Amino acid sequence: MLGRKSRKARKKAKRAKKAKRFVRRTVGTLVAAYAGLFCVFYFDLDGKLLYYVVEPFMKNHFDNMERRDPHDVPYDQIDSEYMSKF
Amino acid sequence: MKKPDLKKLKEVDFKKAARDFVYGKPHGERRLGDLYIPKTGLYKHREWRGIKDTMYYFNNIWLYNYGMIVHDLMVYGGGPKGAIQFLKGTWRYRWMGQTYLTVMHWFDRCLEGMRGETLKASAWHFRGITSACLYQITGFFNRDLNIGGDPALRAKTIGTDETVWGGIIYPYMDQGGYYLPTQMIPYFVTCHCNNHTVLNYIDAVQAYGLPGDPCPMCQAEAGIYIEDDVPDSFVAMVTTNEACDSSVGTSVIQDWMMNKPLFAMPQVMQFDDDSVLENCAKEIELAWRFMEEQTGLEFHWEELKKHIELQNKQNQFEREKWDVAANTHSYPINGVAQALYRIFYSQYGERPFWHDVDRRVKKIMEKCVNEDINTFPMTRHRVIAWSCAPLYYSAWCTWAYNCWGLNTIINMDSLMFDLDIRTDTYENCLLDIAKYHEWAPMRRMAVGGLQHIFELWENMEKFNCDMVMMYDQLQCKGMQGVVGLFEDEFRARNIHAIWMPHALPDKRTVPRSQIRQIINDYMFTVMGEEPLDPSLLDFDDIDSW
Repeated sequence: MLGRKSRKARKKAKRAKKAKRFVRRTVGTLVAAYAGLFCVFYFDLDGKLLYYVVEPFMKNHFDNMERRDPHDVPYDQIDSEYMSKF
Repeated sequence: MKKPDLKKLKEVDFKKAARDFVYGKPHGERRLGDLYIPKTGLYKHREWRGIKDTMYYFNNIWLYNYGMIVHDLMVYGGGPKGAIQFLKGTWRYRWMGQTYLTVMHWFDRCLEGMRGETLKASAWHFRGITSACLYQITGFFNRDLNIGGDPALRAKTIGTDETVWGGIIYPYMDQGGYYLPTQMIPYFVTCHCNNHTVLNYIDAVQAYGLPGDPCPMCQAEAGIYIEDDVPDSFVAMVTTNEACDSSVGTSVIQDWMMNKPLFAMPQVMQFDDDSVLENCAKEIELAWRFMEEQTGLEFHWEELKKHIELQNKQNQFEREKWDVAANTHSYPINGVAQALYRIFYSQYGERPFWHDVDRRVKKIMEKCVNEDINTFPMTRHRVIAWSCAPLYYSAWCTWAYNCWGLNTIINMDSLMFDLDIRTDTYENCLLDIAKYHEWAPMRRMAVGGLQHIFELWENMEKFNCDMVMMYDQLQCKGMQGVVGLFEDEFRARNIHAIWMPHALPDKRTVPRSQIRQIINDYMFTVMGEEPLDPSLLDFDDIDSW
């Protein structure tokens, strides 16, 4: 009886320990993430990433994009019929 | 290992350093210019504003707004499908993919040096603008046939010139009617947020054969069409001649390039003549009939009335803000936030996000007034900004306050739409809507007749301003015509006025450093004053956003 109880108590203590560890880890991760984000904010790392990496990459993509030749657009407009009513 | 220099350590005033850490450095000791990385406008590190304001900026502005951008994309975009459309649009359109990702730096530039309630209220204005942008961006992409958008949504959507007031869609909003000003997001806001991309569109239209001297705003707006960078998100288009004849030229190119049914809705230049008001009203009615034919939507008077009444409420709050700005030192909104928010909501029209911002700003403003907070304590001069502003340097107001104590109280564009539209009868409502259209941006004062551009004098008095920042748009033929008249008046009235040359979106004509130099020269030589922050006098931000 006593052995069973103590086994239960041991299990409970183990669970409590696990829960504590989980809470500690979660809080620790959140604190680390928050601190990391503050570093990104304070040292303008988001700006630097966008300026030196993202924007040049996107610019290169858009500069090399195939586009319609505006000279190929016909000049006759489909709205001319509508506007002639006024 | 190097030994610490004890002599230097002894010289450090630890008490002061601790005070600066907790409360932030006082204005005059901040040296904000030292924070910049040369040419880029990036920060070596963001400004330390003291514990309270730095943490407010980090939590309630930086983190909050990044989070709310995702939130808005999901809500306005209609869930994951909207997010996918957003990614496709980001990859397809330069004005999105290269521009708007840098939005938080726009906040930074405009909010530099701000503290306390001023920081909060001004940031809420930018939150409103950002939300409005995302509302439109998702509106574009969800309907865009170029990237697999929904044709059913597109069928109820009308594209317009950005100077066609958004209220034109009010009667149809309960049926899913949607209004897309085709230049506001692809062009106008980009210049404020990241002015790199607009240069592509100006160059594109000039490469196509247009001369370089028309208004660069109209060039850029036409360039978006030349570059095929307008989403296919709307079924038909309503254009207008506002603000000027250069805008008509833009419409011709747009009409050609998009090849969609188009209704041209002319509004008169000289709007004081009441006999022309009825003509404008008829044009608006014709535009409604055109929209109904194209979309199959029906005109709902009660829906129109509902939105007009909500818009009137916004306008009434704006007047409360002006009253505080004019008569107290407790107005908590900086010059750039005031200007951009006002022109954006009064042009785009009534939507729920504006009311949310107004509610929050009202609370902050009431606190400032009740507690008699001096929101811009280093103000040396109360400035009124007149004519059309440089889009690539709308943050000059923030710089001018930090560097010289020039506090921009109000600007011309904010004052233009001061009209409560009547809703007692359809006829009265229509006449007021026509008047509202006639008072479009850059129209009512800038090209609406000499007596209106000279409304400057009464507004200077009304807002208790002692200095004018006179914008000089070098490629606006209308405003170039009145330079001499203004100079005569400034002299005759003994008013301190600084002419600020610029070319609206194109920073290559008059760079930002040159604008600062002109203000510096005036403040040193004419006013005989010394800067509050000498580190901001001269710095290189030529390649910045």
